[in-house]
Amino acid sequence: MASYILRRIWGLIPVLIGVTILVFMIMHLSPGDPAKIMLGPKATTESIAKLNAELGLDQPLYVQYFTWISNVLTGDWGRSLQLKMEVLPLVADRFGATLLLTLCSILIATAIGIGSGIISAYRKFSWTDRSLMLFVLVGFCLPVFWLGIILQIVFGLKLQLFPISGMYSPGQTGLMDLFLHLVLPSLALSAGAGAVIARMTRSSMLEVFEQDYIRTARSKGINERRVIYIHALKNAFIPVLTVLGMQIGFLLAGAVLVEMVFAWPGIGTLMVNGILARDFPLVQGVILFVATTYVIVNLIVDILYAILDPRISYQ
Amino acid sequence: MKINKLLMGTLIAAIMILGACSSKTSDQEKSGNSQIVIGLEAEPTSLDAHQISDYNSSRAAMEIYDQLVQFKDESTEIEPDLAEKWDVSDNGLVYTFYLKKGVKFHDGTDFNADAVKFSIDRQIDPKHPYHNTGQFAYADFTFGMVKKVEVVDDYTVKITLKERFAPFLGNLAMHAASIVSPAAVKKYGADFTKHPVGTGPYKFSSWNPGVEIVLKKNKDYFNGKAKVNTLIFKPITDPQTRLAELESGNIDMIVNIPPDDLSRLRADDNFQVIEQAGMHLWWTAFNTQKKPFNDIRVRQAVNYAINKESIVKDILKGTGEVANTVLPSTVWGHNAELKNYEYNPEKAKQLLSEAGYKDGLKVTYWVPESGSGMQQPQAMAAAIQSDLAKVGIEVKIQTIEWGAYLDKVFVPVAENEMDMHQMSWIGDNGDPDNFLYILFSSQQWPTAGFNDAYYKNKEVDQLLNDARVTEDKGERTKMYEKAQEIIMKDAPWVVIDSEKQIVVAGKKIKNFKLHPTGVFRFANVEVQ
Repeated sequence: MASYILRRIWGLIPVLIGVTILVFMIMHLSPGDPAKIMLGPKATTESIAKLNAELGLDQPLYVQYFTWISNVLTGDWGRSLQLKMEVLPLVADRFGATLLLTLCSILIATAIGIGSGIISAYRKFSWTDRSLMLFVLVGFCLPVFWLGIILQIVFGLKLQLFPISGMYSPGQTGLMDLFLHLVLPSLALSAGAGAVIARMTRSSMLEVFEQDYIRTARSKGINERRVIYIHALKNAFIPVLTVLGMQIGFLLAGAVLVEMVFAWPGIGTLMVNGILARDFPLVQGVILFVATTYVIVNLIVDILYAILDPRISYQ
Repeated sequence: MKINKLLMGTLIAAIMILGACSSKTSDQEKSGNSQIVIGLEAEPTSLDAHQISDYNSSRAAMEIYDQLVQFKDESTEIEPDLAEKWDVSDNGLVYTFYLKKGVKFHDGTDFNADAVKFSIDRQIDPKHPYHNTGQFAYADFTFGMVKKVEVVDDYTVKITLKERFAPFLGNLAMHAASIVSPAAVKKYGADFTKHPVGTGPYKFSSWNPGVEIVLKKNKDYFNGKAKVNTLIFKPITDPQTRLAELESGNIDMIVNIPPDDLSRLRADDNFQVIEQAGMHLWWTAFNTQKKPFNDIRVRQAVNYAINKESIVKDILKGTGEVANTVLPSTVWGHNAELKNYEYNPEKAKQLLSEAGYKDGLKVTYWVPESGSGMQQPQAMAAAIQSDLAKVGIEVKIQTIEWGAYLDKVFVPVAENEMDMHQMSWIGDNGDPDNFLYILFSSQQWPTAGFNDAYYKNKEVDQLLNDARVTEDKGERTKMYEKAQEIIMKDAPWVVIDSEKQIVVAGKKIKNFKLHPTGVFRFANVEVQ
């Protein structure tokens, strides 16, 4: 097991190097000059050239790449061209907000998804099953930004139950305030993932319910709840966990849209603004950060398999 | 299942408790009324006045600073600010400023002639020890003509220009001419952008990136105290979210309201719509050096063929003011006598036929997806395309992203592949020179400047050059009026409108007035 983990961590290095090269190339080869965008349409040619030189953007691409990557390795992620702040603390700070939003959404998605998946499977082909699955289908199909706006209008503007946007009320920093601000964006973000998890749980549970050991357990007179949650769910959970791991990636991506709609100060808004401004150091920093997280989450999911199902072993 | 009912009950109870808490919070906010919360379109990029190049930053930052001179309320006329008075030498090259005494920066240090010299030299002198503390986008524009800055004594400073430049005082009222605390720049270095220190009516309190910027009243302000204690600027990118926050009362004022929602807000008694035509122009430029638009008749024909009123009314929903000339009505020197080309498709067809395009012609029209000051580029392009189709001009629209678009537009004439393209301009120093010279002088062809139509007319060049070095405002006005007349006749552009600045605020905000430069002034604003 330990050697497997080590090997996987070792394997992360080429993946991350690949990511850095890809991001670097996409950003630098896309049209649009950061100096021109930074200085606005009113900049003179001399000032653009001067700024490009100051930023090192007049160097050949490979020189720029190696300078950047060697700085990153020493902890210097550069300074955002647009926001003029250090990239690493900025990204780390904003990533906290995105992580909070993503974790909350994954909790909601898992609770709702697994819950409704189990009920659906248990009452297969009943009205409960059909209406739950219809609900799930709708949840999956709703565009996340549209759902966000509807939640804002209904629960924020009309019912005034929750704040409409942002992370804190103006001038406040309380924990309760943060929690209230978290509700609507997490709900919006969790809809799609919850739906996928629900469908996966349902089909996986249906399969498990057909197994001999479940019949045996029932015939032994074991309490039905125990049969469902202990005997069936544990075995049905492996494919659900795989989907869950993948959904975290989708959630991180979906967070970009939700953050824009809810003015949530995460990396999504940071990245979109960064891309529009051709803010190379910032976008590279954000993507490197997200890619690393995604790869690590996948690793954790792989390790969890073994804990859940001892039959799985790693070599 | 019993458990389901129990779960449901708990969930509903939890939501209700949370809801109760949340309305309590917003009631508390509403009762603490000496603050104004402003919804910005995007995160400000810098609070260092010398590095600002966008509206969101200038709106959040400019109350922190003062300049030697300032624009009067609601106009671009100049009045004293940190300078008590000034002299200009007979040759127009030396400006001597006599500074106000006893003014302090927010960090407690003294404002004096050294601070003025520091604030200018930091931006224009590459050898200045603090030049590397930022990127100064507007330095060339604001101080490009400055030869040197000298400290005469503690409260007198002399600025010498390389050549006569009549609009110079206007430049000194701009954001890049703000006077910053040298002590703070020395202390924070490149992080001065996050710890701005000036002499203005509000001082910086905190910046939580992505969340808010908080400014507090400067109780020692030399020019009278501000009335509201706290200003909070919140970036909310999505226009619908910004609107919902305003309507729920969580924020007090917003900018750039979606045109479709504006009429609803105008009818709502809870809000006030404050508007003013801005120092802005939106136009479609022709490549005047290339067929078919090197023929004045074709340019005039396109001008006659486009229904400008309809674009402003139906697409912009009245958020713009139809332009009558190539200088906005808010800038002095604007020639009110001139008329834009009326909508007359018949005349357009006749001109095209005279120019040899009886059977019509095909042109390319470049359009950005969006962009600073570009209003609704794609919808406006579609309207123009449809108008031109009626007179036999087949328009092929090419849409690209703003950053890449700028690269395509501002290229030497030989490399320009466009027949027509859209562009807009937002004025800086309130001087006609800032529009007419920069956009129409033949010395300003890209990449040297912004004459994006590659327009060239000797008479116009002469008038614009003379006006630059004439101090007498009456004479300058005449020159600019004449220049506009010639330019409108030559039709290097189809000029459509000046975008209005529109702010919607709650009724509790009193005395808020827009300024043509787009900067927000809060010193006299009250909350009731």
